[in-house]
Amino acid sequence: MTTSHENEKEKMQTSVKPNSLASVAQANPAKVPGTRAMGTGLETRGVHAWFGKHHALSDISLDFAAGTVTALIGPSGCGKSTFIRTINRMHEFIPGAAMAGEVLLDGKDVYAPGTDVTKIRLQIGMVFQKPNPFPSMTIGENVLSGLKLAQIKVDNKDDLLEECLERAGLWSEVKDRLGAHGGSLSGGQQQRLCIARALAVRPQVLLMDEPCSALDPGSTLRIEETIRHLSDTMTIIIVTHNMQQAARVSDYTAFFLSDGGPGQMIEVAPTSEIFSRPQDQRTENYVTGRFG
Amino acid sequence: MALIRSVFQDELDSVSQSLVDLTSMVSHSMSQATKAILNCDLNLAQEVIASDERIDEYQHDIDARIIDIIARQQPVASDLRALVTALRMGSDLERMGDLAHHVAKIARLRHPNAAVPAELVQTITEMGLAAVKITDKTGVVIATRDTDMALEVERDDDEIDNLHRQLIGILIEPNWKYGIETAIDLTLLGRYYERYADHAVSISRRVYFLVTGKYAS
Repeated sequence: MTTSHENEKEKMQTSVKPNSLASVAQANPAKVPGTRAMGTGLETRGVHAWFGKHHALSDISLDFAAGTVTALIGPSGCGKSTFIRTINRMHEFIPGAAMAGEVLLDGKDVYAPGTDVTKIRLQIGMVFQKPNPFPSMTIGENVLSGLKLAQIKVDNKDDLLEECLERAGLWSEVKDRLGAHGGSLSGGQQQRLCIARALAVRPQVLLMDEPCSALDPGSTLRIEETIRHLSDTMTIIIVTHNMQQAARVSDYTAFFLSDGGPGQMIEVAPTSEIFSRPQDQRTENYVTGRFG
Repeated sequence: MALIRSVFQDELDSVSQSLVDLTSMVSHSMSQATKAILNCDLNLAQEVIASDERIDEYQHDIDARIIDIIARQQPVASDLRALVTALRMGSDLERMGDLAHHVAKIARLRHPNAAVPAELVQTITEMGLAAVKITDKTGVVIATRDTDMALEVERDDDEIDNLHRQLIGILIEPNWKYGIETAIDLTLLGRYYERYADHAVSISRRVYFLVTGKYAS
Protein backbone atom coordinates (compact mmCIF):
# COMPACT_ATOMS: atom_id res chain seq x y z
CA MET A 1 0.00 0.00 0.00
CA THR A 2 1.29 3.46 -0.80
CA THR A 3 0.58 6.03 1.87
CA SER A 4 0.44 9.76 1.26
CA HIS A 5 3.58 10.03 3.38
CA GLU A 6 5.42 7.71 0.99
CA ASN A 7 4.17 9.74 -1.95
CA GLU A 8 5.53 12.84 -0.31
CA LYS A 9 8.87 11.14 0.28
CA GLU A 10 9.05 9.98 -3.30
CA LYS A 11 8.30 13.50 -4.50
CA MET A 12 11.12 14.85 -2.33
CA GLN A 13 13.51 12.24 -3.67
CA THR A 14 12.74 12.94 -7.29
CA SER A 15 12.68 16.72 -7.02
CA VAL A 16 15.88 17.08 -5.02
CA LYS A 17 19.17 16.47 -6.78
CA PRO A 18 21.69 14.92 -4.39
CA ASN A 19 24.86 16.87 -3.66
CA SER A 20 23.40 20.24 -4.56
CA LEU A 21 22.85 22.46 -1.57
CA ALA A 22 20.80 25.03 -3.43
CA SER A 23 18.41 22.40 -4.74
CA VAL A 24 18.07 20.79 -1.32
CA ALA A 25 17.43 24.22 0.17
CA GLN A 26 14.63 24.77 -2.30
CA ALA A 27 12.70 22.10 -0.44
CA ASN A 28 12.70 24.43 2.57
CA PRO A 29 10.80 27.66 1.91
CA ALA A 30 12.51 29.49 4.78
CA LYS A 31 15.86 29.06 3.06
CA VAL A 32 15.08 29.72 -0.61
CA PRO A 33 18.11 31.42 -2.12
CA GLY A 34 17.71 34.85 -3.61
CA THR A 35 14.44 35.79 -1.97
CA ARG A 36 15.96 37.84 0.80
CA ALA A 37 18.22 40.83 1.11
CA MET A 38 21.17 38.55 1.70
CA GLY A 39 21.75 37.79 -1.98
CA THR A 40 21.60 34.59 -3.95
CA GLY A 41 24.33 32.81 -2.05
CA LEU A 42 27.79 31.58 -2.78
CA GLU A 43 29.04 28.92 -5.17
CA THR A 44 32.44 27.43 -5.79
CA ARG A 45 33.20 25.74 -9.08
CA GLY A 46 36.16 23.38 -9.47
CA VAL A 47 38.31 25.09 -6.86
CA HIS A 48 41.91 23.85 -6.60
CA ALA A 49 44.57 25.28 -4.29
CA TRP A 50 48.35 24.94 -4.20
CA PHE A 51 51.13 25.94 -1.82
CA GLY A 52 54.09 26.10 -4.18
CA LYS A 53 54.19 22.67 -5.82
CA HIS A 54 52.03 21.09 -3.13
CA HIS A 55 48.52 20.50 -4.46
CA ALA A 56 46.43 21.05 -1.29
CA LEU A 57 42.89 20.99 -2.58
CA SER A 58 41.29 19.39 -5.61
CA ASP A 59 38.17 20.28 -7.55
CA ILE A 60 35.78 21.56 -4.90
CA SER A 61 32.34 22.51 -6.23
CA LEU A 62 29.86 23.48 -3.55
CA ASP A 63 26.74 25.64 -3.37
CA PHE A 64 26.03 27.62 -0.23
CA ALA A 65 22.44 28.80 -0.35
CA ALA A 66 21.82 32.22 1.17
CA GLY A 67 20.82 32.06 4.81
CA THR A 68 22.15 28.58 5.44
CA VAL A 69 24.88 27.34 7.76
CA THR A 70 27.26 24.81 6.24
CA ALA A 71 29.77 22.93 8.38
CA LEU A 72 33.00 21.69 6.81
CA ILE A 73 34.38 18.66 8.61
CA GLY A 74 37.33 16.37 8.02
CA PRO A 75 40.68 15.40 9.55
CA SER A 76 43.50 17.96 9.88
CA GLY A 77 45.28 18.60 6.62
CA CYS A 78 42.30 17.83 4.39
CA GLY A 79 42.10 21.40 3.07
CA LYS A 80 39.03 22.77 4.90
CA SER A 81 40.73 25.96 6.09
CA THR A 82 42.53 26.37 2.76
CA PHE A 83 39.17 26.09 1.04
CA ILE A 84 37.48 28.83 3.06
CA ARG A 85 40.55 31.04 2.63
CA THR A 86 40.13 30.76 -1.13
CA ILE A 87 36.56 32.05 -0.73
CA ASN A 88 37.52 35.52 0.56
CA ARG A 89 40.87 35.60 -1.26
CA MET A 90 42.97 35.22 1.87
CA HIS A 91 44.72 32.19 0.41
CA GLU A 92 46.75 34.47 -1.88
CA PHE A 93 48.38 36.16 1.16
CA ILE A 94 50.65 33.14 1.52
CA PRO A 95 53.83 33.36 -0.63
CA GLY A 96 53.76 30.73 -3.40
CA ALA A 97 50.05 30.07 -2.97
CA ALA A 98 47.92 29.61 -6.07
CA MET A 99 44.34 28.66 -6.89
CA ALA A 100 42.19 27.67 -9.84
CA GLY A 101 38.45 27.56 -10.30
CA GLU A 102 35.67 30.03 -9.60
CA VAL A 103 34.16 31.47 -6.44
CA LEU A 104 30.85 33.09 -7.31
CA LEU A 105 29.17 35.53 -4.94
CA ASP A 106 25.72 36.46 -6.27
CA GLY A 107 26.87 34.91 -9.52
CA LYS A 108 30.00 37.10 -9.86
CA ASP A 109 33.46 35.56 -9.70
CA VAL A 110 35.42 37.10 -6.83
CA TYR A 111 38.60 36.32 -8.79
CA ALA A 112 37.49 38.20 -11.92
CA PRO A 113 40.14 40.65 -13.16
CA GLY A 114 39.70 44.12 -11.75
CA THR A 115 37.85 42.92 -8.64
CA ASP A 116 38.42 45.08 -5.56
CA VAL A 117 39.79 42.54 -3.07
CA THR A 118 39.08 44.76 -0.07
CA LYS A 119 35.45 44.98 -1.11
CA ILE A 120 35.28 41.18 -1.38
CA ARG A 121 36.58 40.83 2.16
CA LEU A 122 33.92 43.26 3.37
CA GLN A 123 31.23 41.12 1.75
CA ILE A 124 32.79 37.86 2.97
CA GLY A 125 33.85 38.28 6.59
CA MET A 126 35.96 35.90 8.60
CA VAL A 127 36.27 34.84 12.23
CA PHE A 128 39.39 32.93 13.23
CA GLN A 129 40.20 30.10 15.60
CA LYS A 130 41.91 32.34 18.14
CA PRO A 131 40.02 35.49 19.16
CA ASN A 132 42.04 38.42 17.80
CA PRO A 133 40.54 41.71 18.95
CA PHE A 134 42.82 44.76 18.74
CA PRO A 135 43.95 44.64 22.37
CA SER A 136 44.67 48.33 22.80
CA MET A 137 41.44 49.48 21.16
CA THR A 138 38.29 49.81 23.24
CA ILE A 139 35.37 47.45 22.75
CA GLY A 140 33.54 50.12 20.74
CA GLU A 141 36.59 50.92 18.61
CA ASN A 142 37.10 47.22 17.90
CA VAL A 143 33.57 46.81 16.56
CA LEU A 144 33.85 49.89 14.34
CA SER A 145 37.45 49.27 13.22
CA GLY A 146 36.44 47.63 9.93
CA LEU A 147 34.43 50.70 8.94
CA LYS A 148 37.37 52.95 9.71
CA LEU A 149 39.80 50.82 7.67
CA ALA A 150 37.42 50.65 4.72
CA GLN A 151 36.61 54.36 5.14
CA ILE A 152 32.89 53.65 5.32
CA LYS A 153 30.83 56.46 6.83
CA VAL A 154 27.75 55.70 8.91
CA ASP A 155 25.25 58.19 10.29
CA ASN A 156 24.71 56.73 13.71
CA LYS A 157 27.69 54.79 15.00
CA ASP A 158 26.12 54.17 18.42
CA ASP A 159 23.13 52.41 16.88
CA LEU A 160 25.36 50.27 14.68
CA LEU A 161 27.57 49.44 17.66
CA GLU A 162 24.61 48.31 19.71
CA GLU A 163 23.11 46.37 16.80
CA CYS A 164 26.33 44.47 16.07
CA LEU A 165 27.04 43.66 19.71
CA GLU A 166 23.43 42.63 20.17
CA ARG A 167 23.55 40.30 17.15
CA ALA A 168 26.84 38.82 18.34
CA GLY A 169 25.19 38.09 21.68
CA LEU A 170 27.56 40.36 23.62
CA TRP A 171 25.63 43.63 24.16
CA SER A 172 24.16 42.89 27.58
CA GLU A 173 27.56 41.90 28.94
CA VAL A 174 29.50 44.96 27.72
CA LYS A 175 26.99 47.79 27.30
CA ASP A 176 28.22 49.51 30.47
CA ARG A 177 31.89 49.30 29.57
CA LEU A 178 32.19 50.02 25.88
CA GLY A 179 35.29 52.09 26.67
CA ALA A 180 37.17 49.12 28.19
CA HIS A 181 39.94 47.55 26.17
CA GLY A 182 39.13 44.53 23.97
CA GLY A 183 41.90 42.59 25.70
CA SER A 184 40.10 42.88 29.05
CA LEU A 185 37.30 40.52 27.96
CA SER A 186 37.24 36.75 28.51
CA GLY A 187 38.13 34.45 25.58
CA GLY A 188 34.49 33.74 24.76
CA GLN A 189 33.60 37.43 24.93
CA GLN A 190 36.60 38.32 22.75
CA GLN A 191 35.42 35.86 20.11
CA ARG A 192 31.92 37.37 20.14
CA LEU A 193 33.57 40.80 19.89
CA CYS A 194 35.36 39.57 16.75
CA ILE A 195 32.02 38.40 15.37
CA ALA A 196 30.51 41.85 16.14
CA ARG A 197 33.48 43.44 14.35
CA ALA A 198 32.89 41.24 11.30
CA LEU A 199 29.17 42.13 11.32
CA ALA A 200 29.76 45.91 11.38
CA VAL A 201 30.67 46.00 7.69
CA ARG A 202 27.48 44.04 6.91
CA PRO A 203 28.92 40.98 5.16
CA GLN A 204 26.75 38.65 3.10
CA VAL A 205 28.85 35.66 4.02
CA LEU A 206 30.63 34.86 7.28
CA LEU A 207 33.48 32.33 7.27
CA MET A 208 34.32 30.82 10.65
CA ASP A 209 37.49 28.79 11.06
CA GLU A 210 37.10 26.67 14.20
CA PRO A 211 35.67 29.67 16.09
CA CYS A 212 35.09 27.76 19.32
CA SER A 213 38.17 25.55 19.57
CA ALA A 214 39.80 27.82 22.18
CA LEU A 215 36.62 28.35 24.19
CA ASP A 216 34.96 26.71 27.20
CA PRO A 217 31.66 24.79 26.71
CA GLY A 218 29.46 27.70 27.91
CA SER A 219 31.07 30.23 25.55
CA THR A 220 30.89 27.64 22.77
CA LEU A 221 27.14 27.23 23.19
CA ARG A 222 26.71 31.03 23.24
CA ILE A 223 28.61 31.34 19.94
CA GLU A 224 26.56 28.52 18.44
CA GLU A 225 23.39 30.34 19.42
CA THR A 226 24.78 33.48 17.79
CA ILE A 227 25.48 31.50 14.59
CA ARG A 228 21.88 30.27 14.48
CA HIS A 229 20.54 33.82 14.87
CA LEU A 230 22.94 35.26 12.29
CA SER A 231 21.92 32.72 9.67
CA ASP A 232 18.62 34.58 9.35
CA THR A 233 20.48 37.36 7.60
CA MET A 234 23.63 35.85 6.14
CA THR A 235 25.29 32.74 4.76
CA ILE A 236 27.66 31.04 7.17
CA ILE A 237 30.40 28.49 6.52
CA ILE A 238 32.02 27.02 9.60
CA VAL A 239 35.06 24.77 9.81
CA THR A 240 34.89 22.63 12.91
CA HIS A 241 36.56 19.57 14.40
CA ASN A 242 33.72 19.20 16.85
CA MET A 243 31.21 16.75 15.35
CA GLN A 244 28.52 17.60 17.87
CA GLN A 245 28.95 21.27 17.00
CA ALA A 246 28.54 20.55 13.28
CA ALA A 247 25.46 18.47 14.11
CA ARG A 248 23.97 21.18 16.34
CA VAL A 249 24.63 24.29 14.36
CA SER A 250 24.58 23.56 10.63
CA ASP A 251 21.93 22.98 7.97
CA TYR A 252 24.40 21.20 5.66
CA THR A 253 27.62 19.36 6.25
CA ALA A 254 30.42 18.73 3.76
CA PHE A 255 33.06 16.11 4.50
CA PHE A 256 36.60 16.71 3.23
CA LEU A 257 39.36 14.11 3.13
CA SER A 258 42.87 13.74 1.82
CA ASP A 259 44.11 10.24 1.00
CA GLY A 260 47.70 11.46 0.88
CA GLY A 261 47.04 13.58 -2.21
CA PRO A 262 45.14 16.88 -2.33
CA GLY A 263 42.08 17.31 -0.11
CA GLN A 264 38.78 16.38 -1.76
CA MET A 265 35.14 16.87 -0.91
CA ILE A 266 33.78 13.38 -0.32
CA GLU A 267 30.15 14.05 0.50
CA VAL A 268 27.77 16.94 1.11
CA ALA A 269 24.21 16.57 2.40
CA PRO A 270 21.74 17.98 4.89
CA THR A 271 23.40 17.64 8.31
CA SER A 272 20.79 15.22 9.63
CA GLU A 273 21.62 12.88 6.73
CA ILE A 274 25.36 13.04 7.31
CA PHE A 275 24.92 12.14 10.97
CA SER A 276 22.27 9.47 10.51
CA ARG A 277 22.71 7.90 7.07
CA PRO A 278 25.89 9.06 5.32
CA GLN A 279 26.20 7.65 1.81
CA ASP A 280 29.96 7.20 1.66
CA GLN A 281 31.70 4.66 3.90
CA ARG A 282 34.57 7.12 4.49
CA THR A 283 32.11 9.70 5.83
CA GLU A 284 30.57 7.03 8.05
CA ASN A 285 34.01 6.04 9.38
CA TYR A 286 34.87 9.68 10.11
CA VAL A 287 31.64 10.81 11.80
CA THR A 288 31.53 7.67 13.92
CA GLY A 289 35.08 8.41 15.01
CA ARG A 290 36.62 5.33 13.40
CA PHE A 291 39.54 7.39 12.09
CA GLY A 292 40.74 10.97 12.03
CA MET B 1 44.60 5.89 8.21
CA ALA B 2 44.46 3.75 11.32
CA LEU B 3 41.06 2.80 12.62
CA ILE B 4 40.39 3.92 16.19
CA ARG B 5 37.76 3.65 18.96
CA SER B 6 38.38 -0.03 19.65
CA VAL B 7 36.90 0.21 23.18
CA PHE B 8 33.69 1.69 21.76
CA GLN B 9 33.59 -1.04 19.10
CA ASP B 10 34.01 -3.69 21.80
CA GLU B 11 31.07 -2.19 23.70
CA LEU B 12 28.88 -2.26 20.57
CA ASP B 13 29.91 -5.85 19.83
CA SER B 14 29.12 -6.84 23.37
CA VAL B 15 25.57 -5.39 23.12
CA SER B 16 25.06 -7.34 19.92
CA GLN B 17 26.33 -10.56 21.56
CA SER B 18 24.00 -10.01 24.52
CA LEU B 19 21.04 -9.73 22.15
CA VAL B 20 22.08 -13.02 20.54
CA ASP B 21 22.27 -14.59 24.02
CA LEU B 22 18.85 -13.18 24.93
CA THR B 23 17.44 -14.60 21.69
CA SER B 24 18.69 -18.04 22.58
CA MET B 25 17.20 -17.66 26.09
CA VAL B 26 13.72 -16.87 24.70
CA SER B 27 14.03 -19.64 22.10
CA HIS B 28 14.85 -22.16 24.85
CA SER B 29 11.99 -20.78 26.94
CA MET B 30 9.44 -21.29 24.14
CA SER B 31 10.81 -24.76 23.39
CA GLN B 32 10.42 -25.76 27.06
CA ALA B 33 6.98 -24.13 27.32
CA THR B 34 5.78 -26.14 24.29
CA LYS B 35 7.11 -29.37 25.86
CA ALA B 36 5.39 -28.48 29.13
CA ILE B 37 2.01 -27.92 27.49
CA LEU B 38 2.20 -31.04 25.30
CA ASN B 39 3.44 -33.33 28.11
CA CYS B 40 1.42 -31.75 30.96
CA ASP B 41 4.75 -31.24 32.73
CA LEU B 42 4.16 -28.98 35.74
CA ASN B 43 7.81 -28.77 36.80
CA LEU B 44 8.89 -27.71 33.35
CA ALA B 45 6.08 -25.11 33.24
CA GLN B 46 7.27 -23.74 36.62
CA GLU B 47 10.83 -23.56 35.30
CA VAL B 48 9.74 -21.52 32.26
CA ILE B 49 7.67 -19.19 34.46
CA ALA B 50 10.66 -18.63 36.77
CA SER B 51 13.05 -18.09 33.86
CA ASP B 52 10.99 -15.14 32.59
CA GLU B 53 12.33 -13.06 35.46
CA ARG B 54 15.90 -13.78 34.33
CA ILE B 55 14.97 -12.75 30.78
CA ASP B 56 13.53 -9.46 32.07
CA GLU B 57 16.64 -8.77 34.14
CA TYR B 58 18.89 -9.56 31.20
CA GLN B 59 16.94 -7.13 29.01
CA HIS B 60 17.11 -4.39 31.68
CA ASP B 61 20.86 -4.88 31.84
CA ILE B 62 21.17 -4.49 28.03
CA ASP B 63 19.04 -1.30 28.18
CA ALA B 64 21.20 0.17 30.93
CA ARG B 65 24.39 -0.56 28.98
CA ILE B 66 22.98 1.03 25.81
CA ILE B 67 21.91 4.18 27.67
CA ASP B 68 25.36 4.37 29.20
CA ILE B 69 27.06 4.04 25.78
CA ILE B 70 24.80 6.72 24.26
CA ALA B 71 25.52 9.08 27.16
CA ARG B 72 29.28 8.59 27.08
CA GLN B 73 30.10 7.98 23.42
CA GLN B 74 27.62 10.21 21.52
CA PRO B 75 27.18 7.67 18.72
CA VAL B 76 26.02 8.79 15.26
CA ALA B 77 25.14 7.20 11.90
CA SER B 78 25.19 3.37 11.88
CA ASP B 79 26.39 3.26 15.52
CA LEU B 80 23.37 5.29 16.63
CA ARG B 81 21.05 3.15 14.52
CA ALA B 82 22.61 0.00 16.02
CA LEU B 83 22.00 1.20 19.57
CA VAL B 84 18.48 2.58 19.07
CA THR B 85 17.62 -0.61 17.18
CA ALA B 86 19.13 -2.72 19.95
CA LEU B 87 16.91 -0.98 22.53
CA ARG B 88 13.85 -1.91 20.51
CA MET B 89 15.04 -5.45 19.74
CA GLY B 90 15.60 -5.97 23.47
CA SER B 91 12.00 -5.05 24.15
CA ASP B 92 10.78 -7.39 21.36
CA LEU B 93 12.80 -10.23 22.91
CA GLU B 94 11.49 -9.45 26.37
CA ARG B 95 7.94 -9.65 25.01
CA MET B 96 8.75 -13.00 23.34
CA GLY B 97 9.87 -14.24 26.76
CA ASP B 98 6.51 -13.09 28.18
CA LEU B 99 4.62 -15.05 25.50
CA ALA B 100 6.58 -18.26 26.31
CA HIS B 101 5.72 -17.56 29.95
CA HIS B 102 2.00 -17.28 29.02
CA VAL B 103 2.14 -20.67 27.25
CA ALA B 104 3.70 -22.20 30.37
CA LYS B 105 0.98 -20.62 32.53
CA ILE B 106 -1.77 -22.35 30.54
CA ALA B 107 0.08 -25.67 31.08
CA ARG B 108 0.23 -24.95 34.85
CA LEU B 109 -3.41 -23.83 35.00
CA ARG B 110 -4.74 -27.03 33.39
CA HIS B 111 -2.38 -29.44 35.16
CA PRO B 112 -2.87 -32.38 35.72
CA ASN B 113 -5.21 -32.27 32.72
CA ALA B 114 -3.96 -31.77 29.20
CA ALA B 115 -4.60 -28.31 27.76
CA VAL B 116 -4.26 -29.62 24.19
CA PRO B 117 -6.63 -32.38 22.96
CA ALA B 118 -5.01 -35.26 21.06
CA GLU B 119 -6.23 -34.16 17.65
CA LEU B 120 -4.50 -30.78 18.02
CA VAL B 121 -1.20 -32.03 19.44
CA GLN B 122 0.29 -32.17 15.95
CA THR B 123 -0.66 -28.54 15.18
CA ILE B 124 0.69 -27.18 18.48
CA THR B 125 3.87 -29.26 18.08
CA GLU B 126 4.41 -27.77 14.66
CA MET B 127 3.71 -24.24 15.90
CA GLY B 128 6.22 -24.74 18.72
CA LEU B 129 8.87 -26.06 16.32
CA ALA B 130 8.27 -23.25 13.82
CA ALA B 131 8.48 -20.64 16.63
CA VAL B 132 11.81 -22.01 17.82
CA LYS B 133 13.13 -22.25 14.24
CA ILE B 134 12.24 -18.64 13.46
CA THR B 135 13.81 -17.44 16.73
CA ASP B 136 17.04 -19.30 16.08
CA LYS B 137 17.24 -17.82 12.61
CA THR B 138 16.61 -14.37 14.11
CA GLY B 139 19.57 -14.96 16.42
CA VAL B 140 21.75 -15.63 13.37
CA VAL B 141 20.37 -12.46 11.71
CA ILE B 142 21.34 -10.39 14.78
CA ALA B 143 24.81 -11.94 14.89
CA THR B 144 25.59 -11.74 11.17
CA ARG B 145 23.43 -8.77 10.09
CA ASP B 146 22.59 -10.80 6.98
CA THR B 147 19.84 -8.76 5.28
CA ASP B 148 18.79 -11.60 2.93
CA MET B 149 18.24 -13.86 5.91
CA ALA B 150 16.34 -11.02 7.64
CA LEU B 151 13.88 -11.01 4.75
CA GLU B 152 13.68 -14.84 4.90
CA VAL B 153 12.45 -14.63 8.50
CA GLU B 154 9.51 -12.63 7.25
CA ARG B 155 8.63 -15.46 4.84
CA ASP B 156 9.13 -18.11 7.54
CA ASP B 157 6.47 -16.33 9.56
CA ASP B 158 3.91 -17.37 6.92
CA GLU B 159 4.30 -20.97 8.12
CA ILE B 160 3.13 -20.02 11.62
CA ASP B 161 0.34 -17.85 10.25
CA ASN B 162 -0.90 -20.85 8.23
CA LEU B 163 -0.81 -23.13 11.28
CA HIS B 164 -2.65 -20.44 13.24
CA ARG B 165 -5.37 -20.28 10.58
CA GLN B 166 -5.63 -24.11 10.59
CA LEU B 167 -6.03 -24.10 14.37
CA ILE B 168 -8.76 -21.44 14.31
CA GLY B 169 -10.49 -23.43 11.53
CA ILE B 170 -10.68 -26.48 13.79
CA LEU B 171 -11.90 -24.45 16.78
CA ILE B 172 -14.82 -22.96 14.92
CA GLU B 173 -16.00 -26.22 13.41
CA PRO B 174 -19.63 -27.00 14.46
CA ASN B 175 -18.64 -30.46 15.74
CA TRP B 176 -16.04 -29.11 18.23
CA LYS B 177 -16.36 -31.41 21.22
CA TYR B 178 -13.88 -30.18 23.84
CA GLY B 179 -15.89 -27.36 25.37
CA ILE B 180 -15.47 -23.62 25.65
CA GLU B 181 -12.62 -23.64 28.18
CA THR B 182 -10.35 -25.69 25.91
CA ALA B 183 -11.37 -23.59 22.92
CA ILE B 184 -10.34 -20.43 24.80
CA ASP B 185 -7.04 -21.99 25.88
CA LEU B 186 -6.27 -22.98 22.30
CA THR B 187 -7.32 -19.61 20.90
CA LEU B 188 -4.92 -17.97 23.32
CA LEU B 189 -2.15 -20.49 22.62
CA GLY B 190 -2.47 -19.94 18.88
CA ARG B 191 -2.34 -16.20 19.42
CA TYR B 192 0.76 -16.49 21.67
CA TYR B 193 2.73 -18.46 19.06
CA GLU B 194 1.60 -16.17 16.26
CA ARG B 195 2.55 -13.00 18.18
CA TYR B 196 5.82 -14.58 19.28
CA ALA B 197 6.81 -15.11 15.64
CA ASP B 198 5.67 -11.56 14.75
CA HIS B 199 8.19 -10.17 17.24
CA ALA B 200 10.92 -12.26 15.58
CA VAL B 201 9.92 -10.73 12.24
CA SER B 202 9.98 -7.28 13.79
CA ILE B 203 13.54 -7.89 15.07
CA SER B 204 14.68 -9.05 11.64
CA ARG B 205 13.18 -5.93 10.05
CA ARG B 206 15.05 -3.80 12.57
CA VAL B 207 18.32 -5.50 11.58
CA TYR B 208 17.51 -4.73 7.94
CA PHE B 209 17.02 -1.05 8.87
CA LEU B 210 20.17 -0.99 10.95
CA VAL B 211 22.27 -2.27 8.05
CA THR B 212 20.66 -0.35 5.18
CA GLY B 213 19.21 2.73 6.90
CA LYS B 214 15.95 1.88 5.10
CA TYR B 215 12.82 0.05 6.15
CA ALA B 216 12.17 -3.34 4.55
CA SER B 217 9.28 -2.90 2.13
